[in-house]
Amino acid sequence: MNTRRMITGNGAAAWGARLARVEIIPNFPITPQTAIIEEISLWIASGKMDADFLPMESEHSVQSALAAASSVGTRVFSATSSQGLMLMTEMMFVTSGLRLPVIMVNVSRGLSAPITLWSDHNDVLVQRDSGWLQIFCSNNQEVLDSVVMGYKIAENSNVLLPMLINLDGFTLSATREPVEIPGQDEIDDFLPAYNPKHTILDPKEPMSMGGVVFNEYMYFRSQQRMAMCNSKDIITAVCAEWEKMTGRGWGRGLVEPYCLEDSERVLVICGSESAILKYTVDKLRAKGEKVGMLRLRTMRPFPCEEIVDALSDVEKIGVIDQDISPGSGGIIATEVKACLGRGVTSFIAGLGGRRIGAEKYEKIFGRLGRDVEEWIF
Amino acid sequence: MKDPYLKKLTDIPMEDYLVGGHVACQGCSASLGLRLTLKVLGKDTIVINGSGCMTLLPVYPTTPLRVPWIHLAIENSGAAGTALYYALRRKNIDANILAYAGDGATYDIGLQSLSGAAEKNIDMIYICYNNQSFGNTGHQRASSTPRASSTSTTPLGKVEVAKDMPAIMAAHRIPYVATACPSYPIDFLNKVKKAAEVKGMAFIDLLVPCPVGWGFDPAEGINIGRLAVRTGLWKLYEITDGKVSISYIPKKRKRVSEYLSAQGRFSHLSEGDIRRIQAEVDQEWDELEERGYGYEIMV
Repeated sequence: MNTRRMITGNGAAAWGARLARVEIIPNFPITPQTAIIEEISLWIASGKMDADFLPMESEHSVQSALAAASSVGTRVFSATSSQGLMLMTEMMFVTSGLRLPVIMVNVSRGLSAPITLWSDHNDVLVQRDSGWLQIFCSNNQEVLDSVVMGYKIAENSNVLLPMLINLDGFTLSATREPVEIPGQDEIDDFLPAYNPKHTILDPKEPMSMGGVVFNEYMYFRSQQRMAMCNSKDIITAVCAEWEKMTGRGWGRGLVEPYCLEDSERVLVICGSESAILKYTVDKLRAKGEKVGMLRLRTMRPFPCEEIVDALSDVEKIGVIDQDISPGSGGIIATEVKACLGRGVTSFIAGLGGRRIGAEKYEKIFGRLGRDVEEWIF
Repeated sequence: MKDPYLKKLTDIPMEDYLVGGHVACQGCSASLGLRLTLKVLGKDTIVINGSGCMTLLPVYPTTPLRVPWIHLAIENSGAAGTALYYALRRKNIDANILAYAGDGATYDIGLQSLSGAAEKNIDMIYICYNNQSFGNTGHQRASSTPRASSTSTTPLGKVEVAKDMPAIMAAHRIPYVATACPSYPIDFLNKVKKAAEVKGMAFIDLLVPCPVGWGFDPAEGINIGRLAVRTGLWKLYEITDGKVSISYIPKKRKRVSEYLSAQGRFSHLSEGDIRRIQAEVDQEWDELEERGYGYEIMV
């Protein structure tokens, strides 16, 4: 039976894992993620959740344990942030290369140095070439929904890739919002148990995993790329099924268009900042300005066709990047430009959680139409 | 004392789970060590490998292993063992978990992960196949490299002494720690059997002479291992419940010069260097004799 509760983004992530009946949770504390694993440890200790909680000695060990446990065919979950995700980097590629459908939440936080506890997207975007699917959530409900849907997508035999689900530190992780928590029976019907055929560490069926390849290496990488391409349809189908069950489809799964029909000026954005941007769009539209927003929900696979479909007729396009690749520019702006084959205005904003706010978005809408990089302090 | 599991070479099981056709070097004691280990542990065993020489056993699309094998990276065999232990329980799979990783992967880069598994006393067998260097990359210095040994990154010989890894493992209060060498297969395999039988983590530091890195004829691998033990340079012992007991006391110790002069890695040593090493070994064994070849290392 559905219930509605006021929970944080971290709580929503924990609920997603609980509903998905994850079995092994290797973990390591890091701000602002820690509340996720604390909540899960409490549920396991009180018998509300049947899973093994493995406190590891580092995030590198967490990712190693996720891969090892998934190789046996158990459903696994973990969460991390920032420096923790960086320490996992080596193993991120191993997990996806072994085609293990691990689901991990990243509570985004700017990277050191200097140290910040607040959110931006450089941590998660560093992993964009690691072969993980990447989902950026805009609110706490989407966090819960994405974790549960994540297993169904990642475990699909045409995908078999791990998924990183991003929620913004503090903005979502520590903020309470009303979240609908689906009933366990409903989720059990939606998400069957994981029964892999490709990786099984069982003496009854000996196989060698993670061995050496020579000339064949490129074929393995090609298959991984193909799986990423396949995932688009699977994401859309799973979101459609979820919408049927819960009424929430999260756009078509890949992008969320907002007021695009007659828009002359559009901002592309991802994550929780989209809520404030929507508010700004409403405000400007009330004044008769033809503005809109396109939220990218998946960063991998990058929704190139969907961006082209949504924006090909739009005259002035801007991209908000809460990240920076020094020497290149906004990471998302660079990718959007590559899809569209034309310039956009690239705004670097909100690094280390620096407040943007509706008044600045209003100004930003007035500065579109130039192929430049502009920093919004 | 309980009868040992194996008394003579013909007691060793015939069945092999590491079979021929792989690409390990001629005279490699590390592959011999794994082959012997799997004979004792049998088919219900899952091997975790930390990156190193043995990672080159399964080369796509072939594998010489008849038991499940997983390689993830160099520094995480302990973490992988921890996860496997719980995941196998969830799947109701009853199997030995064997981590087989080199000394670089154990003493150095993987120490944190191994320590994590040891602190949790995970029921697994961790065998460090120890060629006293980063062997697979061409014999570079490691914290396991003995003092005076030259390596490709210590051309003048290593200055520091090797880390006492068995003592570090024993300090985690795990139930069984041992050292061994495939040149003494009965001693080694009885230790593997004990390692499999204890509940909790067992750690075996296995000296595996490396013809390529150490610089000796591949045909001499077994002899070099024997010399390491008979000169007293590599001690065979067990640590259970904080008590060290020497499992092999060389009747009349050979001179260390016989061991050192047989290997390229010690060819730079002077007579004086060799005399100093001999004096150290003699002093160590004199002390061991005074203590009855057994002593407590922890209270």
